Amino acid sequence: MATAFLSSLTRGIGRYALVAALTAVFALFATLAPGFLSGANLLSVLVNNFALLAIVAVAMTFAVSAGGIDLSVGTAIDFASFAFVSLVLAGQPVALAALGGLAGGALVGVFNAVLIAGIGISPFLATLGTLFVGRSVQQLLTNGGNPVYLPPAGVPEAFRFLGHGTVAGIPVPLLLAALVIAGAWLVLSQTRFGRVVLATGIQASVVRYSGIRLSRVTAANYVLVSTIAAVVGLILTSTVTVYIPSSGNAFLLNAIGATFIGTTFDPRGRPNVPGTVLGVLLLGVVANGLLLSGLNFYWQQVGTGLLIFSVLAIGFANRKAAARA
Amino acid sequence: MLVDSPFIPASALEIEAQKSLEPPGSGPAFGRRLATLALRGGALAVFVGVLVVFSAAAPFFLTIGNIGNVLGQSAIAGVLAIGLTIVIIAGGSNVVTGGIDLSLAANMGLSAAVYASLVQAGQGDGVAILGALGTGLAIGAVNAAAVTLAGIVPLLATLAVMNVVAGLELVLTQNTVVPAATDFLSALSAGGPFGIPVLAYILLGFTFVVAAVVQYTPLGLRLYAVGAFPDAARAAGLPIRSFVAGSFLASGLCGGFAGILSVSYLSGSTTGAGDMLLPVVVTALLGTVFSRRLVPTITGTLLSALFVGFLINGFQLLNISSTLVSGVQGLLILLVVSATTLLGRKESI
Amino acid sequence: MADTTNGGAIVRLENIVKRFGGAAALSGASLSVKRDSVHGLVGQNGAGKSTLIKLLAGLHRADEGTVEIDGEAYDRLTPHLVEELGIHFIHQDRLLVPTFTVGEALFLGRELRIPGTPFLDRTGMRRKSAEILARYFGLSLPQSALIADLSAAEKQIVQITRALIANPRVLVFDEPTAALVRREADLLFQLIHRLSAEGITILYISHYLGEIVDICDTVTVLRNGRDVATLPVAETSATEIGALMVNRALGELYPKPDVIPGEVLLQVENLALAERFDAVSFALRKGEVLGLTGLVGSGAKEVVRTLFGLDLPTGGAVSVNGETVFSADPAEATEKRLALVPEDRRRDGVALDLSVTENTTLASLDRFSRGLIDHGSERRQTEDLVKRLQIKTDGIDALVRTLSGGNQQKVAIAKWLSRQSEIYLLDEPTVGVDIAAKVEIYRLIGELAERGAGILVLSSDIEELLGITDRILVFFRGRVTRQFTSSETSPDQVLADVTGAHETLRHAG
Repeated sequence: MATAFLSSLTRGIGRYALVAALTAVFALFATLAPGFLSGANLLSVLVNNFALLAIVAVAMTFAVSAGGIDLSVGTAIDFASFAFVSLVLAGQPVALAALGGLAGGALVGVFNAVLIAGIGISPFLATLGTLFVGRSVQQLLTNGGNPVYLPPAGVPEAFRFLGHGTVAGIPVPLLLAALVIAGAWLVLSQTRFGRVVLATGIQASVVRYSGIRLSRVTAANYVLVSTIAAVVGLILTSTVTVYIPSSGNAFLLNAIGATFIGTTFDPRGRPNVPGTVLGVLLLGVVANGLLLSGLNFYWQQVGTGLLIFSVLAIGFANRKAAARA
Repeated sequence: MLVDSPFIPASALEIEAQKSLEPPGSGPAFGRRLATLALRGGALAVFVGVLVVFSAAAPFFLTIGNIGNVLGQSAIAGVLAIGLTIVIIAGGSNVVTGGIDLSLAANMGLSAAVYASLVQAGQGDGVAILGALGTGLAIGAVNAAAVTLAGIVPLLATLAVMNVVAGLELVLTQNTVVPAATDFLSALSAGGPFGIPVLAYILLGFTFVVAAVVQYTPLGLRLYAVGAFPDAARAAGLPIRSFVAGSFLASGLCGGFAGILSVSYLSGSTTGAGDMLLPVVVTALLGTVFSRRLVPTITGTLLSALFVGFLINGFQLLNISSTLVSGVQGLLILLVVSATTLLGRKESI
Repeated sequence: MADTTNGGAIVRLENIVKRFGGAAALSGASLSVKRDSVHGLVGQNGAGKSTLIKLLAGLHRADEGTVEIDGEAYDRLTPHLVEELGIHFIHQDRLLVPTFTVGEALFLGRELRIPGTPFLDRTGMRRKSAEILARYFGLSLPQSALIADLSAAEKQIVQITRALIANPRVLVFDEPTAALVRREADLLFQLIHRLSAEGITILYISHYLGEIVDICDTVTVLRNGRDVATLPVAETSATEIGALMVNRALGELYPKPDVIPGEVLLQVENLALAERFDAVSFALRKGEVLGLTGLVGSGAKEVVRTLFGLDLPTGGAVSVNGETVFSADPAEATEKRLALVPEDRRRDGVALDLSVTENTTLASLDRFSRGLIDHGSERRQTEDLVKRLQIKTDGIDALVRTLSGGNQQKVAIAKWLSRQSEIYLLDEPTVGVDIAAKVEIYRLIGELAERGAGILVLSSDIEELLGITDRILVFFRGRVTRQFTSSETSPDQVLADVTGAHETLRHAG
C-alpha cells in the first residue's frame, strides 16, 4: 500500500516535473526580470524563441517515436530554403516556389528513407551521413558556400509574408507552428499511421509479426520528418531573405533535447507532441528570461544545459523505478 | 593442469572428426570474409589512391614537410576521435543506445579555456596542465555518472553535458579569444626534428600509447568484450559498469589533452570548439573500415583522421574548396555502413 | 563427513522447492549425481529442468531443500562460488564475442600475458588454444578465424574448451545438440566419453532420449517439478523414459469439442526450405485442429514460419481457400486471414510497453479508423475480447508488461480475433503459461474450431497435442515421418517418433 502510493507519487512528479519546471521558471522570471511579463515580450518569446524550434522538434518527435533519430533535419531545412530562394529568383510564383521548397526538403527524407528502410542502416548513422553529404552538396550548389541573397528590390511582398506577415494580428510563423503542432498531434496520437509508428519504436518485431509492412511505414515517416522540417526552411528564408548554406543545423541539438525532455511528460515515457512543445517552451522561456534578468548573458547556455540535464535525470530515474516496480 | 596432459592419442576417429566439420574456406563464412577483405582493401585503396592523385597533381604533397604538417594539423581531431573510439568500443557500436560521447568537442573547448585563463591569471604551465586535464576528467566523470548511475542513455546524457560545458566555456571566456603564450606552449607548436611539427610527434606518440593499452593488453580485450557482447563479458565475470564508466573517464581525459594541444596550436583558446563534434564522430566511425574485423580500433581511427587531414590538405593545395571533404566523408560512411549492413543481412538469411 | 550417506555423490540436491510468485516451479525435486558418472536429466518443458539447473548455477536460490557439493552443504550458491567448486556450464546460447579470434574468446577474463609485461601474449594464447583444440577435438581452426566465421558446432566446441581450460570437475551440458547436425552431435558424444574417462563428471540435459540412452549411465526424470525416477540406463529404454516423462492421467484437462472438419482452408504441397525441411504436404480443414511436433531443428517450426511469410520457401506450393499464396510477406498472409501466435511472445507476439488495447487492435486498426482512430469502438472491441478470453488485467489501458504470461498470450491471440482471422498458427501456445490459463487457451482453441476456423498447433508437449488436436504430424530431421490420429495413439508412441528412439545412434567409440 504505502510503497504503491509512493511510487505513484514519484511517477506523478516525473510527469509533472516538466510543467512544474516551466511554471517555476516562468514565476521566477516574472519576479526577477523586468518586462518579462509584458505582452510584447511574451509575443517575442513565442515568435523568436518558440515557433521555429517547435516545428523542428515536432518533426524530430516523429523520428524518435519510431525508435530512431534524424540528425539531418537541418539539411532538410537548408534544402527547402535553397529550393525556395532559387525558384523565386527564377521568377516563379511564390506559392509554387514554396511547394518546391517543401519538395526540396522532402528529397532529403527520401534519401534517408532509402538508407534506413531500404538498406537497413541505423537511423543515427544514415542521417549523419546525409548531414555530411548534404553539406557538401550545398557547397557545390553555391560555389563554395556563398549565401544566396534576394535583391531587396526584387523581393515580392508575398515572399516576406511567411516570415513577417500577420493574420488577424497573429504573426504567420506562430500560426504555422500552431498548425504543424495541431496536425502532428492529430497524426501521431489519433491515426493508424501514428499508432503504428509508435508501436515500431516500442517493439518493431511485433509490428512485423502483426502483418504490417514495416519498411513502408518507416520510409513514410522519415519523409514526413523532413517535410515538416522544410516548413522552417521556408519561414527562415522569408524572414531574412537570404539562404545561408548549412545554417539549419543550429536547431538540431535543441530539437533532440526538447523531444526527450518531452518524453518525461508522458506517463509511459513515450515521445509525444504536447511534451515536445512544453520542452521547447521551457527552453524558450529560459533563454528569454535569462536574457532579460540581466544575468551574465553567457550563463544562459549553462542554465539551459543544467535544466535539460536535470529533467532527463528525473525522467530516467523514474523510468528505472517504474521498471523495477 | 588438465590442459597440459596429453591423454588422447591421435586416432583414425579424430581424422574422421576433422573431416566432418565445415572446412575453412567454404560457405557463407568464407564469402563474408572475402567481402570484408574487399571492403577493407577498398578503403585502403581509396586512401592510397587519394595520396597518388594529390601527389601527381601537387608535387609538394608527398614531401616530408607536408606530411608532417598534415600530421600536426590532425593532432587535435585525432586525439578527440581516439577518445571517442574508446567510448564506442566499450559501449558497442549501436550509437543511440551504445557508446557515444557528444560532449568531447565542448570538453576540448572548456579545457582549453581553463588552460588559457589560468595562464592569464599568472599561473604556470604545470598548474594549467593540471587544470585542463582535471576539467576533462571531471566532465568524463559527470558523463560516467549520468550513464551508469542515473541510467540516461549516452546520447542524451552527453548531449546535455555538452550544453552545460559549452555554456561554461562562454561564461569563462565571455565568448572572446583568450590568448596564452608560454615557453611550453611555443615548444609544443614549434617544429621538431626533420622539420616535422612537435604536434605530429605528439599525435603519433599518443596513438602509440593508447593503442598499446587498448589493442595489446588484457584490459583492452575486456573493453571490446564489454561493448561487443555484454552477456559474454558478464559470463566471463567482468564488471560491465566499471568498464563503461572508465571509458567515459578516458574520453574526458582525451578532451582535456586535446584542449592543451589546441591552446598551443592556436596560441590561446578560441570559440567554436563545438563545430568539431560531428567531424570527430564521423572520423571515429569511419575508422572501423581500417580494421581487419571491421571494429573500432585506435590505429584505424588514426588512419581515418589522417585520411581526412590529407583530403583537406590536398584540396587546399589544388585550390578546391576543402568543405567538399565533408561530402567525401559522408559518402564514405554511407558506403561503408551500407556494405556492412547488406553483408550482415545476407548472413542472417 | 557425510561421505557414507551421499554414496559418492559430487552434486546432491535434496527436496528442492522453488516458487515464482504463486506457482511452484519445483516442488520437492531431488537430484544426486555420482562422481565420474554421465548423468542424464530429462523432462518435458515446464517440468522444472531449467529451474533446477539455474539453481545449481547459483542463479536462483531454493525456497526449501538442501544443496550439497562434495558432501558439504551450501546455503547460498553464487555463480562465482559454483565456478570455484569446479562446476561449469555449457549453455545453449553461445556466449562468445563474435569479433574475437578463437584464442581471445577462449582466454577472455584469464588472459595470458607476455611474462614481465602487461601485454597480451597473443602468440601464446593462439598456440595454447591450437594445442587444446587439436588435443581434444583433433581440430585445427585457422589462426585468424573469428568466432563469427565459425559453424554452430565449432562455436560449441570453443565454449566447451573455455570450460575445460578452467579445469572443471563437473560439466553441465544444457541441450548441447539442439543446434548441431548429426555428424557434429556424434563428435560431441565422443568428446563426452573422453571427458568422462578423464574423470570429469557430466550432467547432461536433453530432449533427445536416444542420445540419453546412448551416452548416459544414469538418468533422472523430472515431471511437474518433482523427480519421478532415477534409473541406471542399462536397465531402461528410451520408450520407458518417455512414458515416465508424460503424465498418463490425462483426465479432463483438455476440453475438446467434437467438430466435424469441413472444407479445406489451407493446402500445403511439397513445401521445401533449403536445409530446413523438404516435401511437406498436408491440408487443414475448417474446424480442424492439426498438431505439429518435432524437436528443435526438425523443421516443424520453420514450416509454420514459412506459412506466415517470414521465410521464402525454395519449393512447393501453399494455397488458402483455393488461392495460391506466393510471396514471403506477413502482410499478405494476414490479408489471407492467416494469424501467427509466435513462440517468443514477449519479443514477437505482444509489445510489452503498449497497452492491452493498443496490442489488441494493432493488426486490425483499419477496422477502427476512418482517417482518425475511433477510440470508442476500439475500446469496446477490446473490452469484449478481454471478457470473452477472460484476460486478467488492471484494465484495458494497462501495459501488457504487467500481465502474467498466460494473459499476455491471450492478448496475442485476441489481436487475431480482432483481425477476424480464419487460420491460426499457434507456435508453442502454452509454454510458460500456468495450468489454469493453459486450460483456458485449450478451451479457446476448441471454441475457434467450433466457429469454423482452422488451427495449427505446434507444440513439444505431446500430451497437450493428444488432448486438443484431431491429427498430429511428427517432424524428424526436416521431414514428416509419421501421422497420428490423436484419439488412437498414446504419448509414448508419439514421443518415440519425435525423439527418433527407433533409430539407434551409430556408435563410433
